Amino acid sequence: MARTAISIDHIARIEGHGNVRLVIEDGQVLTCQMEVVEPARLFESMVVGRPFDEVPYVASRICGICSSSHVVTDLRAIEAALDVRVTDRTAALRELLVYGSFLQNHATHLFVFSAPDFLGHRSVFPLADENPALFDKALGMKALGNELCTAVGGRSVHPITAVVGGFTSEITPAEYRALADKMDAMADFAVEAVDLFDGFEVPAIETAGDMLAMVAPGRYPVCDSDAARFVRAGYDFNCAQVEEEVEEYPVGHSAAFLARARRTGSPYMTAALARVNASWDALSQRARYAAAKAGLRPPELNPLMNNLAQAVELVDVLDRCAALCRRLADDAFEGSSAPAAFEVRAGEGVGFTEAPRGALFHRLAIDREGRVIRANILTPTAQNVANLEADMRLLAEKLVGEGRSEAAIRLEVEKLVRAYDPCLSCSVH
Amino acid sequence: MDAMTENKPARVVVIGLASCFGCQLQITNVERHLLDILGQVDLRYWQLTSSDPMPEEFDVAVVEGAATTEEAVETLSAARARARWVIAIGACAVTGGIPAMAAPGFEERAAAVYGEAAPEACGALRAPAPVGSVIAVDYEVRCCPIDPLDFADTLQRVLRGSNKSVPTSTLCGECKRNERGCFYGRETLCLGLVTRAGCGARCPDLGRPCNGCAGLSPDANVASARAVATRSGVDPARLDKALELFNTVDPSLAPKG
Repeated sequence: MARTAISIDHIARIEGHGNVRLVIEDGQVLTCQMEVVEPARLFESMVVGRPFDEVPYVASRICGICSSSHVVTDLRAIEAALDVRVTDRTAALRELLVYGSFLQNHATHLFVFSAPDFLGHRSVFPLADENPALFDKALGMKALGNELCTAVGGRSVHPITAVVGGFTSEITPAEYRALADKMDAMADFAVEAVDLFDGFEVPAIETAGDMLAMVAPGRYPVCDSDAARFVRAGYDFNCAQVEEEVEEYPVGHSAAFLARARRTGSPYMTAALARVNASWDALSQRARYAAAKAGLRPPELNPLMNNLAQAVELVDVLDRCAALCRRLADDAFEGSSAPAAFEVRAGEGVGFTEAPRGALFHRLAIDREGRVIRANILTPTAQNVANLEADMRLLAEKLVGEGRSEAAIRLEVEKLVRAYDPCLSCSVH
Repeated sequence: MDAMTENKPARVVVIGLASCFGCQLQITNVERHLLDILGQVDLRYWQLTSSDPMPEEFDVAVVEGAATTEEAVETLSAARARARWVIAIGACAVTGGIPAMAAPGFEERAAAVYGEAAPEACGALRAPAPVGSVIAVDYEVRCCPIDPLDFADTLQRVLRGSNKSVPTSTLCGECKRNERGCFYGRETLCLGLVTRAGCGARCPDLGRPCNGCAGLSPDANVASARAVATRSGVDPARLDKALELFNTVDPSLAPKG
């Protein structure tokens, strides 16, 4: 009897703490688990009873890498609950803030976390000697994301200026124009990144699960639509119905709840790949060309292609941010970003954004005094874990069938986990 | 004989406990200087960036996050036994930070979130606590998140020594030098009155009141701050509530008697 047990404790180069347990016997995958062992911080309980305007500040601390997304999501939940309308200028700034976290996240994930696997390294640091030009440009891309978050949010992690109804501070038109120029200057490297990841070979697998992304007609939305789409099943729902559409369920080996679509019972992936599948036509021209050249077109069901989808998004995000910065400099958006006035009242709302790693939902219920009664947070990684496990099983079965060595299976499984870009601190929160 | 006195680069490990990982990210967020900073040390373990496993021997342990499980306590004790220097980075590690907001009634909260029993994967949960309440800490890098250059500065002090003393004054003094006016003049709550200085008052400078992420200053006069709030039309109960954000487990705020 041939038995292979692959155990990876605290898998490296991901955000948070997770273990992989894989047992294969006579070509059969018996156990396949992604153990999420991240400490529970209990954010949903922590914010109950606290003033509503503290919640974005507290929820930001769920995750350092997508702190902007948690803040914007909470602001949208509060504004839905209190019926606060924001100006186009504020909406544009929020988009920039979310895109800033896309640049930070995708650059970190692609080059610091993922690329070392394909280049035969244990970390990104050997690249500094081996290919200093690539190393410098990769860190330059990440630094540009930090710079964008700092320009709009006041610092690279946990934004300061984004509050209910608007922003407390803005940079000058000249600074917006300088940022736009930097975005343009980085675009060639983003296209190179698409080519680089296109050159990395990945096993051909197809997820059986669905894909979930925010949608809006003719656009590639990230923080200004309430519509979510299950791309494969082909139906949309409003974010206010998220609990009716998505079932969260506990399993013993994960500190995060897992998730599946209620209507189909299917696990699903939410990520850059889901967004590209949902809104490919609305990518910037340069991003679409780069994607097409790399053969990334919907429907793309190989989860390992999420790396490539993130690289395509880098191109798209740079194009969009340059345009947004120039329009902000020209004062082309209606209204000011100064926080809008509003009345505190009882209410409930759901905030929905596309975080770098996928769909993020926050529900908040607020009492008359503006205190939080109830909070529910559904993060991209919590939604992804069930699908990741299913894909891991698929991948392991394929590789076992091909007679691959234990070491090879182990590496490919790690690559798959990283391709999902899990944020386990987010998933447990 | 440890590595540093042998004139070899100090062996450094980075340990992440309950946190958002933001302070570890902040270390990488000095892209232009990252290799200069890391080039001075022998970085032996950093799960966020490398597949290399935790070594048996090291000189410096950099710890992010609060201790929220018995496993975390064991990790800290083992690190303390091996490391000559322990650096706590970020509010979670230094004051318990945001995770410690859940410390009062922690078990009931876990039950509220998970139902009857938390999954095994959560580990053996315990009320969140700062690193310094579990093991002795040699250096602290405060704030949420840390300023990466503050970390670089602290690392220099660990590696090369320094006579610099840690500021204990409150943020108000730093903020006044920025000449941005005072939130209390606008009937707006700000924790700069009682929070430890050192950050340069970045948030008030950007129009956002201080939320106290550096923790309570040892020089703070909380009673006087409540009086200032009252005089300025801010309910002092709101000041007390806001102080919980980063100081829930600070013993100096515990009710007297």
